[in-house]
Amino acid sequence: MILFAIAALAFSASALPQSPSPTAQPGPQSSQQPSFDQLRADADAARQSGEIARASDLYAHALLINPSWPDGWWYLGQLRYSVDDYVQAVDAFNHYLSLMPDAAPATALRGLCEFELGQFEPSLRDVQHALALGAADDSRNTQILRYHEGQLLTRLGRFEEALTAYGYFARQHISNDELLVAIGLATLRIPQLPKDADPSQRDVSALAGNAVFLLLSGDKPSAAQAFQAFTQRYPAVANAHYTWGYLLYPTDQDAAIAEFRRELAIDSGNAIDHTMLAWSLLMENNPSEALSEAKKAAEEAPTLPMAQLSLGRALLETGDVPQATHVLETALALDTQNLEIHIALARAYSESGRDDDARRERRASLDLTQKISKPAPAMGQQGAAPAQ
Amino acid sequence: MQPDTPMAHAVELPGANPVLEAHPELSFKMGAYTWTVETRNSQSVYKVTDGTGSLSLPIHWSFGAQAQTWVFEQDGKFYESIVSFYPAANNLGITTGDEQITPQTLQEAMGRELTPMDTKLCFGCHASNAVNSGKLTLTTLHPGVTCAHCHQGALDHATDAASADFSTTPPRLQDMTSESVSNFCGQCHRSWETVVRNGWRGLPDVRFQPYRLANSRCFNGTDPRISCIACHDPHKDLVRSDASYDSRCLACHAASAKPTSTGRARTCPTATSNCVGCHMPKVTLPGGYLHFTDHQIRIVKAGEPFPN
Repeated sequence: MILFAIAALAFSASALPQSPSPTAQPGPQSSQQPSFDQLRADADAARQSGEIARASDLYAHALLINPSWPDGWWYLGQLRYSVDDYVQAVDAFNHYLSLMPDAAPATALRGLCEFELGQFEPSLRDVQHALALGAADDSRNTQILRYHEGQLLTRLGRFEEALTAYGYFARQHISNDELLVAIGLATLRIPQLPKDADPSQRDVSALAGNAVFLLLSGDKPSAAQAFQAFTQRYPAVANAHYTWGYLLYPTDQDAAIAEFRRELAIDSGNAIDHTMLAWSLLMENNPSEALSEAKKAAEEAPTLPMAQLSLGRALLETGDVPQATHVLETALALDTQNLEIHIALARAYSESGRDDDARRERRASLDLTQKISKPAPAMGQQGAAPAQ
Repeated sequence: MQPDTPMAHAVELPGANPVLEAHPELSFKMGAYTWTVETRNSQSVYKVTDGTGSLSLPIHWSFGAQAQTWVFEQDGKFYESIVSFYPAANNLGITTGDEQITPQTLQEAMGRELTPMDTKLCFGCHASNAVNSGKLTLTTLHPGVTCAHCHQGALDHATDAASADFSTTPPRLQDMTSESVSNFCGQCHRSWETVVRNGWRGLPDVRFQPYRLANSRCFNGTDPRISCIACHDPHKDLVRSDASYDSRCLACHAASAKPTSTGRARTCPTATSNCVGCHMPKVTLPGGYLHFTDHQIRIVKAGEPFPN
């Protein structure tokens, strides 16, 4: 299946933003040198007839005369991308984007080049920016970008976000073996690309990925069966129960807590699992048990903001407001954009009579939620999942 | 006193449902669907038909003492009725928040499936002893909000007090800070953080009094004068006269009042009575059936949008 092996996006020239018409800049030209207009015409003709190397040379030459010609950089970037010359393609797209900022196709293609070059952070930045700019303008482009986004998030250790990205495929019921491996890697919190996974990793990942794919697609009975089959075959694989619990959490906290406990039976030092268990217990109004889990989480992962948050919340709800405030301020320094930390700090300050600070944290929380705001729920919709 | 409050009747069981007894035949039509609720011999049946087929379910759990929504169990799943009873309509209407739902099947027209968490929280708030050790246990449910719902250990206390042992008296809510009380009441009335966490915005937020109150400029987490229980006695029926709350407002906003932690609260240049009428306006929810007092206390300016 070629779905995710596609190396180039389906962006056509028509996807180009309106760019200024090519006007030659005044410059030193001898009578022997071809004019900019001639070079442009020759480059376009070479590109249209599939002469990639010649077209690249001609565009490069024309751009020496007129470096402010956006279309030239765009075609040069595309041509270099098509021959896997990612370093030079990035250079061309950099020039293009300096002339045409917010051009979704070029941002997307630069992100894909960076992906191939192993520059994962800038790649993710570009892929997500391209998505935000509307690069996912058809099904094929959407699949390519979402798939790369998922892989990049996994590679960068942002596994929960990766699963959110892969949720697109589950909802659309689009699947193949490679995707299931990719979802499995995120599920098992293995920061690798599918192409780098060894055969044994691929097997276990594909099985875990299949269960999660089914769950994300909404087929809970089949998902439960698939997950059971996975745990029977691989009872000691780390992180599967954690991720399963994480995905169950928004709709079934009891089941999620049971999964978090199962994970700890496999790996008692799993900090993220201790964190989520602590958080779930807090949401279940069980702060004393949550405190014990949160302490373990914070000890194992002192720089994990969610671990500090859980500890701060547990301290707050067991009555140690001064210590809670200190821990939450530490958590905020680790992650200034974390909604839950702002929420908890608002409460801690309010409990200790620091009204101005409480008001500031409330304002910060409300500002952060502007992006995710939605209408208030129906009578029976409660919703209490933590925002991460 | 408390058994007569709406909170004590937050869930009604068959045979003890004055709303349905008083309205034995209710109906509502929208699009292809017609809903009816018929009550005979203290048993109520909720029915929806599309003209060719129909679904009927007995009503076991009626949520609400005045407006009423019903929860059904079918094949191990719980559903909230798409229509509710509204006193203002004296009949059925679309359940608040479900206005956007366009049912495609009879099953969808019957009700919206509740997640296990939603189900637990519904029963956990509207009934007592319905959730034990984090599990939904409907066999032990007591309808409505009883003493033990708010006062942990109240049952032991009642037993011990009968033998003059008052050592197990539950902790008093009055000893909690305003912030803690707001979160305590907010477990059911939706706390500030629950609303923010879920990103809920819009007019229907007016239902969530702890959220609205905490957004008020005068909210102070350690000042008991702004606590929920400074104005409301949960053991008594809700006082609906605006003027009866004046003394609570003037506890801070009178010239003679003790200053707050941030200084002296301003006095109103316009009036010293019916404060709530101006500073806590009444809001009607979409549909026109439900009215709430906005607990975001503020100087309301004519024509300003709902602050949210």
